Amino acid sequence: MIAPLALIGLVSLPIIVAFYMLRLRRRDVPVGSTFLWQQLVRDVEANAPWQRLRFSWLLLVQLLIAALAVGAAVRPFVTVESDLAANVVLIIDTSASMGATDAGGPRIAAARAAARRVIGQLPEGGHVTVVAADDSAHVLVSETDDRAAALAAIDGVQATQLPGDLTDAFALASALAARDADSTVVVVSDANADRLPAVGIGAPVVVERVGDTDANQAVAALSLLRRSGGAQLDLFVAVANPSTTDVTRRLEIYADGVLVDARDLTIQAGQRAEALISSVPAAALSVEARLAGEDALAVDDAAFALVPREGAVRTLLVGPGNTYLENALALLPRLELYAVGAAGYADALATAADEGTPYGLIVFDRVVDDPPAGVPALYVGPSGDGPFGEVGALIDGPALARTDPNDAVLRFVDLSTVHIGRARTVTLAEGMRPVVETTREQPLVAVGRVEGRTIGLLSFALSDSDLPLQVAFPLLMSNLTDTLLPTVDGILPPSVALGESIVVDLDPAISRVSLGAAPDGAAEGEAVELDVVGGHLTLPAARVTGVRELRVVSDDAALNGTLLGRTAANLFDPGESKVAPGDPLRIEDMGRVGPANGAASLPARAEWWWPIALAAFALLLLEWFLFHRPTRRAVARLVGRA
Amino acid sequence: MTQAPAVEAQPGGRTDLLFDEAFLRRLEQLELASRRLTAGRMKGERRSTRRGQSVEFADYRNYTAGDDLRQLDWNVYARLERLFIKLFVEEEDVTVHVLVDASRSMDFGEPNKLFFARRAAGALAYLGLAHLDRVSVAFLGDGRADMLRPIRSKARVLEIFRFLASDRDERLTGLAAAARDYASRLRGRGPLLLISDLMDPGYLDALRDLAGTRCQLSVLHVLAPEEVDPHVPADARLVDSETTQPVEVTGDDDLVERYRTRLTEWQAEIGAFVARRGGSYVTVPSDLDLADLLFDVLRRRRVVE
Repeated sequence: MIAPLALIGLVSLPIIVAFYMLRLRRRDVPVGSTFLWQQLVRDVEANAPWQRLRFSWLLLVQLLIAALAVGAAVRPFVTVESDLAANVVLIIDTSASMGATDAGGPRIAAARAAARRVIGQLPEGGHVTVVAADDSAHVLVSETDDRAAALAAIDGVQATQLPGDLTDAFALASALAARDADSTVVVVSDANADRLPAVGIGAPVVVERVGDTDANQAVAALSLLRRSGGAQLDLFVAVANPSTTDVTRRLEIYADGVLVDARDLTIQAGQRAEALISSVPAAALSVEARLAGEDALAVDDAAFALVPREGAVRTLLVGPGNTYLENALALLPRLELYAVGAAGYADALATAADEGTPYGLIVFDRVVDDPPAGVPALYVGPSGDGPFGEVGALIDGPALARTDPNDAVLRFVDLSTVHIGRARTVTLAEGMRPVVETTREQPLVAVGRVEGRTIGLLSFALSDSDLPLQVAFPLLMSNLTDTLLPTVDGILPPSVALGESIVVDLDPAISRVSLGAAPDGAAEGEAVELDVVGGHLTLPAARVTGVRELRVVSDDAALNGTLLGRTAANLFDPGESKVAPGDPLRIEDMGRVGPANGAASLPARAEWWWPIALAAFALLLLEWFLFHRPTRRAVARLVGRA
Repeated sequence: MTQAPAVEAQPGGRTDLLFDEAFLRRLEQLELASRRLTAGRMKGERRSTRRGQSVEFADYRNYTAGDDLRQLDWNVYARLERLFIKLFVEEEDVTVHVLVDASRSMDFGEPNKLFFARRAAGALAYLGLAHLDRVSVAFLGDGRADMLRPIRSKARVLEIFRFLASDRDERLTGLAAAARDYASRLRGRGPLLLISDLMDPGYLDALRDLAGTRCQLSVLHVLAPEEVDPHVPADARLVDSETTQPVEVTGDDDLVERYRTRLTEWQAEIGAFVARRGGSYVTVPSDLDLADLLFDVLRRRRVVE
């Protein structure tokens, strides 16, 4: 018994019996005469306070209920061997796929139930750390032996819309396991394609897998391009069907909240269907693609895109010529590329100024010169000092340090297979920040704002690396130009992934901004106000899909409320959209096999109060029925009334 | 004809005892049935067992000295040469007895049984007066009969109504003793109407004594709706309004069914008892409309014609 004090409740048994021995306090009902009643009632007894205890089913049922209630309250248990260690790290996956609805109900509810079972199996004296894991880890309760607190924390767990990443959670679990050799990591998850750390941990990992459906489709890509001089918008939509069944889904396109197109897409199992839609009005500000109907996961059924501004940016490539660079820049739809040698740079600027068509971006390839005032510039393999900083000696074969995957410049860029033959050391000017560094902290890629213009830097010549041969190159060029150029809707990138933080540079005159849901692509509720520190602003990661906008907060009425930019947040995560439960071994293999140091199983308390409580409840219903069963007269009255 | 009075009284301070003129006019169209021919003292509108002076021929009898020569049938004498006296039916008054049980058990129910009984008695008394009968009204309670001296004139109907509307403080019925008291003081025969709930152990003795007066006994057995279809709480103490003696019961379907069965048996017993003595027995719920009672129920049971 866990709560023997509850045995005090047994006092209720004699009290119930005493109530039955006490004469009933009957309600006085005046009647004209008891003449007829006296002939009917034979068992009229003397008016004594006590009467002989007689058998009564009601008494029996009530005694049983009281006894069972006490039995449940003392929380009886049997001792069983627990598979869990004394120190349990319980990781509950709260990534977007956990928001799926399975045949048995919400997947996250099944996860909570599984987590509760784990708490019930904790060995005696064991303690548990409960961690919710989406794209990072959140500790809900830490190393507690208070099961009620752990259960309360589990009850509060909700699925997010964020992509799953168990890296942080496993790092935390690894640290906890390192402190206590007798540890078990339990992961409650659908085990589908969550990102995992590269190295395992020193404790056994057990997966409680939840989920049973794979019936989900997702808007996998959404892109808007201007054609015909900006007069027409082309919308590219891809819909993925990661399920094992061919489906037909209706795709609806909304421009600024108004339905402009709808079509049925038949998508084969495991395939994508794509559609190019030209019916989006050129004047629209934002577009939403939505899959009508229902599937297992709702969050990936809608995606948002902002309409790019009209016109391309005239870009001047200055240098001896590099086919890879020219092709990469020419492919970017936002750029209208012109190329000139170093000697013709000044003339090109003069001609453009004369014609009234100035360049919006200058790319210096192995050339260093000053761009026009206020014009962004990208320096590739500079040989001398420039606005970005001072150039030093050559270094051979620099090794790339670990990069921040959340940096907007490195979005979708995988540099793990890039090799650089040599690069120059650069001392960055004030306002520049390194994006990619060598292991010796020498900047290889940097961006920043210097003297009122944005500057980008690749400190190595493209010909000195295999970067131009990698898929990462055009993506890096695209991200760099997005960073350097004013974006489609102000200073924010047109699209961000959920969970991705954005760092933006702002006019130093702006000290406070407000970030909230855009009226035509609402997803989040209340706007939040943020402080701008030193002209830099780190926007918190978007946690739900939709369009957000950034506005100035200022005492100056003319400036207050000025729109700084808008950005669309989408899931676009094939791993999360594939809601089918994955192979738990993939996660379990991250842990050590077998109990620590061959330790024997620990005793655990398996409580069995709930069947007793259930029986008490059933008896309570029976008692209610016995006492309040509808009389024949009441039934007749009801029938008569009907 | 005397104009029918509108009557207002306060029966136990409950509700006005009120008969409107139209109701009284309708009452005058009814007549209390008197299946037994009675011998009264004054001429009335009823046939009497006596032969007398009226237009309705009854019989012949031989002439004897001293007979009124005006009654000789000279036509018969011409044919038979024998003297016969023509006898005519003499129409005489009868006494209508209206007895109201005024015990505490009658002062119960919704609508109140005693109030109903007062109104029914008033209507029946008026009916008698309207046909030039003598009407005797009495309350039975506490083992005695509180009588109003017999009244014959319709103009004095207000006396009856005031008597019926008077406050009563009887507690117990003592029905048998009260009925015996009335029977011993009874003057004049005719219809005798007892309005009671008969909730008294001596109800059979009472009925026997009243039937023994050779009056035409009619029993109006008044019961409140809650006495016909009782609703008893699960655990109840039924308190008798007369004796305040409680009876503890556990109200359930079975008890109510047994009560209803017993009530039906009891009514059948009373009906049989009264029928054996040539009387009429009518069960009357206290929520019955008075007009329905007089113009429908009592007419069908031949209590009124």
